[in-house]
Amino acid sequence: MSTFPSRLDGAGEAFASPAPAVVLTGITKRFGSVLACDGVDLTLERGRIHGILGENGAGKSTLMKVLIGLVLPDAGSIAIDGEKRSILDPLDAAELGIGMVHQHFSLVESLTVWENVALGESGRLKADAVRKRIGDISDQYGLYVDPYARVGDLTAGLRQRVEIVKCLRRDPSIVIFDEPTSVLTPEESSQLFDVLRNVATFDGQAVVLVSHKLDEVLDSTDDVTIMRRGRVVERWPTSQTDIKSLANAMVGREVSLRSERAALGTLATDPEVDEGEVAEEPHQLSVSRTTAPVLEIDSVRVVGPGGVLLLDNLNLRLWPGEIVGVAGVEGNGQRALADLLSSLTPVQHGMVEVDGESISTSKAGAMGRAGIAVIPEDRHDSGVVLDMTVAENLVLTDQYGVSRSGVIDLRSLTGLAERMIDDFDIQCSGADAPMWSLSGGNQQRVVLARELSNSPKILVAAQPTRGLDVGAIEYMTDRIRAAAASGVAVLLISSELEEIMDLSDRILVMHRGQIVGEMDRPDADLERLGLLMGGATV
Amino acid sequence: MARGAEWLVLYVLSILVALALSAVLVETTGGSWRPVMTALVDGSVRAPGRWGETLGSAAPLLLVALGTVISGRAGLVNIGQEGQLLMGAAFATYFSFALGGPGPINLVVLLIFGAVGGAVWAGIAAVLRFWRGVPEVLSTLLLVTVAGQAVAYGLGRDWLLLASKANRGNRNQVSEQLATGNRLPRPDLFGNEIPLMVFVAVILAVIVALVLTRTVWGFRLRMLGHNPRTAQRAGVSMSHYGVSALMIGGAFAGLAGASMFAGGGFSFGNYRLVPGFSTNIGWTGLLVALVAREKAVAAIVVAFVFAALRTGSGFVGSTGVAGRITDVVQGLLVLALLIPPAVMFLRDRRRARFATTARA
Repeated sequence: MSTFPSRLDGAGEAFASPAPAVVLTGITKRFGSVLACDGVDLTLERGRIHGILGENGAGKSTLMKVLIGLVLPDAGSIAIDGEKRSILDPLDAAELGIGMVHQHFSLVESLTVWENVALGESGRLKADAVRKRIGDISDQYGLYVDPYARVGDLTAGLRQRVEIVKCLRRDPSIVIFDEPTSVLTPEESSQLFDVLRNVATFDGQAVVLVSHKLDEVLDSTDDVTIMRRGRVVERWPTSQTDIKSLANAMVGREVSLRSERAALGTLATDPEVDEGEVAEEPHQLSVSRTTAPVLEIDSVRVVGPGGVLLLDNLNLRLWPGEIVGVAGVEGNGQRALADLLSSLTPVQHGMVEVDGESISTSKAGAMGRAGIAVIPEDRHDSGVVLDMTVAENLVLTDQYGVSRSGVIDLRSLTGLAERMIDDFDIQCSGADAPMWSLSGGNQQRVVLARELSNSPKILVAAQPTRGLDVGAIEYMTDRIRAAAASGVAVLLISSELEEIMDLSDRILVMHRGQIVGEMDRPDADLERLGLLMGGATV
Repeated sequence: MARGAEWLVLYVLSILVALALSAVLVETTGGSWRPVMTALVDGSVRAPGRWGETLGSAAPLLLVALGTVISGRAGLVNIGQEGQLLMGAAFATYFSFALGGPGPINLVVLLIFGAVGGAVWAGIAAVLRFWRGVPEVLSTLLLVTVAGQAVAYGLGRDWLLLASKANRGNRNQVSEQLATGNRLPRPDLFGNEIPLMVFVAVILAVIVALVLTRTVWGFRLRMLGHNPRTAQRAGVSMSHYGVSALMIGGAFAGLAGASMFAGGGFSFGNYRLVPGFSTNIGWTGLLVALVAREKAVAAIVVAFVFAALRTGSGFVGSTGVAGRITDVVQGLLVLALLIPPAVMFLRDRRRARFATTARA
C-alpha cells in the first residue's frame, strides 16, 4: 500500500512535506466532571486510513464531534492543510471538506434514496443531476444503491450506503466513519472496508475509522491511534502492531481469552478454540425441564405495518435457570419477539403465559409486571429516557419503592441510585446527571441495573453486547450468567453466533418469524446452525 | 458575570430595543412616542387601580399556561385553550344559574363546572386522539371555532344561556349577570382591587411544579412525554395518561374561563357571558407557556409580563395612535421576550469558540 496516491507524487517534489490534512493539538473537552478529551493530539494524512481505537467512553466520539463541529472544545487548536481553523458548527466543517458518516442514520424512511441524498441542499432541486451523481459515486467507489428505492425498505447495510453517498457527494477531503460496522453483517462489513480503501486511494482523501473492533482496525487501517479515558495512549503504524498489543493498549490490562475473542470476532474462523470452549462450558446444565416452564409463548402471530408477518405461529418455552439463545439472521422476527415481551406490540393471535398465568399482550407494562425484564436491542428506543436523570432512569419501571403515597422521596431515590451506580460501576457525574451525558456502555449498564433490580423471573437480552467494548462485553456476559445461576430464565436474542454458542444452554433458531430448530448446546454445531439460519430444513 | 444577571441584562436590553423600534414606528406614522410610552406604563402599573387590573389578567393567563404545561409535558400539543376557556365559562354560567344555591356554594359549583367544561372540550380531542388517532394539534385547534359557534348558539336561546327579556334590555346575546353574592371576592389592597384568583393561580402554579417533579404521576407523565415507547414498556398507558393530561389541561383553561366570569369584573364581560368573552386569553396563555418553556413557576412571571402588555396596550389606544400600530407595538414587545433565549444560545457558542482559538 503506497502512502500517497500517485497523482500527488509529482506535487511531493514541489512541497518537500505537504501539510497533513488535519492536525489536532491539545484538544480538551469536559462534560461536567467527566473529562471526555484530555489534551488529545491527532494527525491525519491524505490517502491513508487512520483507525481510532478505544473502548466505549474513551473519547473517540467526542474527538470526532469536535472535528465535525458538533462539539466545541474547551481548549486546543485545529489545523486543516496546515492552516489554523476554528470549526464552530457542522457547516464550517462541511466548508472545510470534512464529512462524517454517523453511527446512527439520519434518513427519512418515507422518502426515496435520491430524495434523501438531495435533502439539505439549497437552491433549486435538480433531480436528474442528483440521481446522476448517485450513479457516479456508486460506480466510482463500488457503492451500489438504487436511487429510486424507498429508504424504509432498505436493509441496514444499504441505508448506510445511502449515508455514505450523502457524505461523498459533497466531495469531502476528510471522511470520518463512526463505528460503521456496528449495524452491519460480516459480509456487509467487508464490502464497506473496500469502499473505505477506494475512498482513500481514489483521490487521496484522509479517512478516519472510529472503532472498538480490533480485527477491523488491524485489517483495514494504515495508522492507528488508541485512546483510553480521554487520552491518546498509543500511536502506531498498523503494520507494526498486532492484535494482542492493540487489545492491551485499548483496555490497559490483560483481557481474558473469551472477551478478546469477542472483540476480535474470530469465532467462526477459529473452530479449534471453539471446541476447547465446549469442554470448559462454565454454566453446567443443571436445568430441570420436568417442572412447569416459567415462560410459555403459544402460537403467537404478529402482523407488522404493511401486513408483513413478523411472528408466524411462534411457540417457545423457557425454564428457570437456563440461558436460551435465539440465533438467526437479523430481520427474522427477533425484534418483534423482544417487543412482544416488552408489551410493545399488538398480537393478532396466540398467548403469552408466565408461571401458567396468561399475560395481556395489549396492556402497557403488563409483561414487566409479570416479571419479564428486558435489555432492548435499541436502548434509546425503549430502554432509557435520555432527557431524564440517571436516578430517574434507574426507577423507570418502579417508582413505588422510592415513593410514599404517590410522592417521590428524593432522598431514598438518590440513595437507591447511588447504590446501583456503585454496584454496577456506572461512570457518570452523579445520580442527577442527565442520561444523555453518559456513554453508550454506561447507558447500557443503567438498563441492566434497573432490569435486574426488580428480581425478574425472566430476562430478555436482545443484542446485549452490540456496540460494547471488550471490558463491557465481559461484564455483561458475567451478569447474564450470574442471573441464570440465581434462577432467572434468560432469553438471549443475538445475531452473533459466537455469543449464542458461548452463553446458551439451549439454542433456538429463528427464521421468518418462526422457531425452525432447537438443540442443546453440547449438540450444536455451526454448520447445522448456519443451515437453519439460512432457511434450510435440517 | 453571573448567568442570572446576564439573563436580566438581556431581557432589559431587548425590551429597550423593542421600545425604541416602537417609538420610531409611532413617530413615522404621525404619532408621538412619549405619550405612547407613558400610556403603556400608566396602563399596566402606574395609574390608580391598574396593578389590580394587570394581576386580574395575569391570573387567567397563568391558569391557561399551567394547563398547557401539563399537556405539553405528556408530549401532547394542545393549542385549543381559547375554546376550552370559552366552554368553561359557558358551563360555569349555565350551571350557576341552573343550580342556584347560596352564594359561596354556588361560586364553588360554578368554578368546578367551569373546569369540567374545559375538560370535556379537551376530552373530545383526547378521545379522538387515542381512539381514532386524530392528531390533537388539529382537533384542539378546530374545536376553538366549534366552541365559539356553540356558545353563540347558547347565547341566542333563553333556555340555555340567554338572559330573560327583562334582564337583557336591548342586548340580544348576553347571559344573566352573576349576583353580587356569587362573585369571586376582589379584596382591596393598596388602592387596587386584587381578584382572589391571582392567589389561587400562583398557589396552583407551585402545586403543578411539585406534582410534575415530585410525584409518581408527574414522573410517569414526563416519561411518556420524552419517550412513549419506554413509557409503554414501563407500564405507562399512553391512552390513560394522555387523556388525563389533555383533560386536566382543558380543565385549567375552563377554570380560567369560569374565574373570568365570576371574578373578572369590567375587563371580562362584567359578570355576564357575552360573545367573544375569551378575548384571546387562551391564545396568550398558550404563548405564556411557550415563553416560560413549559416551566410552571417561570410561567408566573411570564404571565404577569404578558398581562402588563395587555393592560398597558389598552391605554395606548387613548393616545390617538391607530389600533394597528398598537398591535405592532405589542407584537414587538412579545418578540423582545423571545429573543434572550436565542441570544444566550449564541453567546454560549461564541464563548466556546474563544476557548478554541485562545491557544491557536
